[in-house]
Amino acid sequence: MNTRFGAAAGPFMIWVVAMALILISWQLLVWVTGLPAYVIPPPALAFATLYENWPRLSVLTGQTLHETAVGYLLGALIGFLLALAMGQIRVVQRLVMPALIISQAVPIVAIAAPLVIVFGFGITPKLIIVAWIVFFPVVVNVLDGLASVDRDMLNLARLMGGGGLRTFAIVKLPACIGPLFSGLKIGATYAVTGAVIGEWTASSKQGLGTYLLTANAQMNTAGVYAAMLLLTVIGVGSFLLVFGLEVLMTPWRSRATAPAWAQWKPSPPTS
Amino acid sequence: MREPRTAGEPAAEPRAPTKLSIENLSVNFGPVVALSDVSLDIADGEFVCILGASGCGKSTLFNVVSGLLQANSGKIVLDGQDVSNRPGQVGYMLQKDLMLPWRTVLGNITLAASLTRGATARDRAEAAELARRYGLGDFLNHYPHALSGGMRQRVAMMRTIAAGRQVMLLDEPFGALDAQTRLGMQQWLLQLWRDLNRTILFVTHDVDEAIFLADRIVVMTPRPGRIADILTVDLPRPRPLEVLTTDTFVGLKRQIMQHLYH
Repeated sequence: MNTRFGAAAGPFMIWVVAMALILISWQLLVWVTGLPAYVIPPPALAFATLYENWPRLSVLTGQTLHETAVGYLLGALIGFLLALAMGQIRVVQRLVMPALIISQAVPIVAIAAPLVIVFGFGITPKLIIVAWIVFFPVVVNVLDGLASVDRDMLNLARLMGGGGLRTFAIVKLPACIGPLFSGLKIGATYAVTGAVIGEWTASSKQGLGTYLLTANAQMNTAGVYAAMLLLTVIGVGSFLLVFGLEVLMTPWRSRATAPAWAQWKPSPPTS
Repeated sequence: MREPRTAGEPAAEPRAPTKLSIENLSVNFGPVVALSDVSLDIADGEFVCILGASGCGKSTLFNVVSGLLQANSGKIVLDGQDVSNRPGQVGYMLQKDLMLPWRTVLGNITLAASLTRGATARDRAEAAELARRYGLGDFLNHYPHALSGGMRQRVAMMRTIAAGRQVMLLDEPFGALDAQTRLGMQQWLLQLWRDLNRTILFVTHDVDEAIFLADRIVVMTPRPGRIADILTVDLPRPRPLEVLTTDTFVGLKRQIMQHLYH
């Protein structure tokens, strides 16, 4: 019981300490530079602004979170399916790979403008931008996972009489889970950036990104920092969520034995 | 020059009917002759070791027998049927354990069932019984990474057995293990073989291992890969560790070494 609590508390304490260090550095920066609050607001002021404006900010956070989450899921799904198709069919991989690399070489800000022209001020261009950022690390990692399957393992599956579909489901697909989560974790921290860029370009609905622009224009620096704090929480929260899911879905990485629900137990003979 | 015998060595008379016939097998990789006119009859329930230095075509031979590789000429006959180029007729195990890390020990043992028709509760119960009988009972729900190399090879062996093929090709299965573990594994394998009445073709480059395990030893030499000699191991079974130092054992070893390092 004690060791279990300790094991869980360890990483948690490290997070608390890390965040405290960031806040202390921020406060020190304010003191050492002696800059006024409209240039760098001290942490306390930023948090106070956040608290006072919470009714409004919570709505904006909801909007940005919505764009981030839906775009993220869209990008992850497209990336995963695309990688599977590319991994299974050589021609698809040859044809699509150059297009993928080009898609990531174009600055994301440059893509945002034409998207608005095509799709308007609604949520669609935001979703596309977020998905655009997220799908690439997913594709690259899942492709690596598929390629990492041992040739001898595939031969063995063939000798055991495994058909294409079953071999894919039993040998290849699970080999992608770990790499998939590597891609998803990278995507999780970037996704919120995509939503903000989307909102900056043009938006009929207010989000944290649009608030950030307005606050900046009004010299409401504390407001800028409050929005920044919320965006950070979205980014870190997404990462932790994906990380937690990864631990749940890849028990063989962290445990010596299968979790209870997956354990085999002898059953009394029925016949 | 097929199946040459050394003077004084009794001709190997298969006590049981022939299970597997390798007939005039030749394999070329471009100009390189990997196997040259290799023929071998293996009796039902026999334990045959194939011994040779690297490059003598041992693994090529296994790939042809398993059906993974097409020979340039010759054929493989199993139970009187031509099974050349038909993968999946015999069991196959490599030096690499090829465990699926996301499957438990039990899940890995029942792999063949999962790959062909989906593992049933009965498959799992049978696999668990097999694993329990041969010392893996406490590890059924373990993931492979939590096991030692020797234990993982035991699981790989159980997986090969559970696949149900009567003939098993074992390609240096203990090659990556340390000497003590290997000796334990050899005794364990002999016990399995005695209980389950399978026919085993076992590739190794370890002379002691071949003599300790085999009914017959097929010595192969490289460039081109061919059978240099077939020796019958006249050591009583079950074989205790003491046979490793008997005169018969040492005599056989000397004879084999002359072929390998002449």
